[in-house]
Amino acid sequence: MAYKKTAKKYSGKISQVTVGTGEKAITLGGKNVLPFYKFDGEAGNKPKVGIEIMDESPSEWSGEFAELYSEAGNDTAAWAKLVEEKYAPDFICLRFEGADPNGKNKSVEECVEVAKKVADSITVPLVVAGSKNNDKDAELFKNVAEALQGKNILLLAAKEENYKTVGAAGALAYGQKVAAESSVDINLAKQLNILMSQLGVKKEDIVMNVGCAAVGYGYEYVSSTMDRILLAALGQNDESLQMPIITAVSFDSWSVKESLATEADEPQWGNQMERGIHMEVSTAAACLVSGSDAVVVRHPKSLETMKKFVNSMM
Amino acid sequence: MDKFMVIGERIHCISPAIRKAIAERDTTAIFERARQQLDAGAHYLDVNIGPAEKDGVEIMQWVVQAIQNEFDNVPLVLDTANKKAIEAGIKVYNRSKGKPIVNSADAGDRIDNINLAAANDAMTIALCAKEGIPSDNDERMMYCQEMLERGMEAGMEPEDMLFDPLFLVIKGMQDKQIQVLEAIKMISEMGLKSTGGLSNVSNGAPKALRPTMDSVTVAMAIQCGLTSAIVNPCDKILMDTIKTCDVILGKTLYADSYLEL
Repeated sequence: MAYKKTAKKYSGKISQVTVGTGEKAITLGGKNVLPFYKFDGEAGNKPKVGIEIMDESPSEWSGEFAELYSEAGNDTAAWAKLVEEKYAPDFICLRFEGADPNGKNKSVEECVEVAKKVADSITVPLVVAGSKNNDKDAELFKNVAEALQGKNILLLAAKEENYKTVGAAGALAYGQKVAAESSVDINLAKQLNILMSQLGVKKEDIVMNVGCAAVGYGYEYVSSTMDRILLAALGQNDESLQMPIITAVSFDSWSVKESLATEADEPQWGNQMERGIHMEVSTAAACLVSGSDAVVVRHPKSLETMKKFVNSMM
Repeated sequence: MDKFMVIGERIHCISPAIRKAIAERDTTAIFERARQQLDAGAHYLDVNIGPAEKDGVEIMQWVVQAIQNEFDNVPLVLDTANKKAIEAGIKVYNRSKGKPIVNSADAGDRIDNINLAAANDAMTIALCAKEGIPSDNDERMMYCQEMLERGMEAGMEPEDMLFDPLFLVIKGMQDKQIQVLEAIKMISEMGLKSTGGLSNVSNGAPKALRPTMDSVTVAMAIQCGLTSAIVNPCDKILMDTIKTCDVILGKTLYADSYLEL
């Protein structure tokens, strides 16, 4: 019998969200098929890969990262510029580790200054991530959104505890994009999108951060969560789940023992940085095939690898 | 599997306000009821213009165009005994949001409405009855089979036929209720879609009881395979029940605010 090609058609489609301005602006989403299934229909925009930097010295991560970015010294804006020029990421994710009230507790004003300088030094879109303290992040996002009005940044992210402030200030008042964060909880992912919509935030301004885990640390829950979101968004045409997904892979992959243990700690495991990159690349690739429309990685080698992966897939 | 399809029943000429609106060609009352039903979550709106023997053609075209223009081409169920009016309505109908549904064909005098639907690429409600209420499920399923064959001969897809088992009033016909549920199960097992006028079940019961009777009936019928119903979507208990059935059956994903969608 002759081979008959069948295509799986879905009634729903992932919305498109644009971050950044000008030539370097990126658009996420747009697919009406499973990730990379371009033989079934419209695979949408190519998934984007961004690189993580932070408001502190790269030496906080490790000596090797400090060495990699030594040209920039301790200047976050110079670091951002260096990353853009040398590695050409699709976007830069600036993470405010230093704002954490349980850490250095930098003031919101200080952080806003850093964000402004970084935004002025780069042409690629900026994604701003917080300190993981809900109250501090709400303040931080509100002020950064105001200061960077017109830059069309993405705030990573609004949570159940602070979505009102982040959504109202970020998207409604200052016209930025907002990611809605749920920690590998599909029902919460849908709920947050509903709440943000009820707040008045438009679908084209919402991205989902459905959470992540490094491979080997419960990643299968991440994968099944993304599967179910996509199948509901596409197959059930569930409008409250048709937002593109961004996944901050590096936040998880560099905090597990495979990435943290030094060679002295685990001599049989080999070079520490290589291990970290392997963890990051495995996790990021898994996220992209599960449905992420954008991933954040930390190491330039991971960025290069993932961009090559995306370009060879579509 | 698709979500349960809710057909709103409130644009019906049995209501004095709607009868007057139709007579005076005044859209106010019609639009108000359309809006209420759509806000409450109706997917299709039934438009019953009565027998309309005289000016049915003109009335149906007027009402179809008026409602679709006002409400972004909402899909409609064209409900009248006047065949010419249904055909005329389909001619001006915009199908971008869904095919028109003919209400209704049966296995008796109105079996030609299946051909009418087929000829116009419409869907149809197919009432499993001939003259009066079928005496048992053998009779019901025989009518179901007859209408299915008629539709397929005319080139219809079975999925464009919504088989109506004929919901019966609980008060007075209590002994027939299980039979209706079993008929729904048989229709569902044949892979066919179904619908029905749900509020029949609570006819004659005190007003306060009706939402409970309708809601419980719809939940039991959905479990038997019912895929849609003609209901009053402004009954919140009923709509909450239908949405919850969709969640339990995995047709829609749970979120704390799912009843608000």
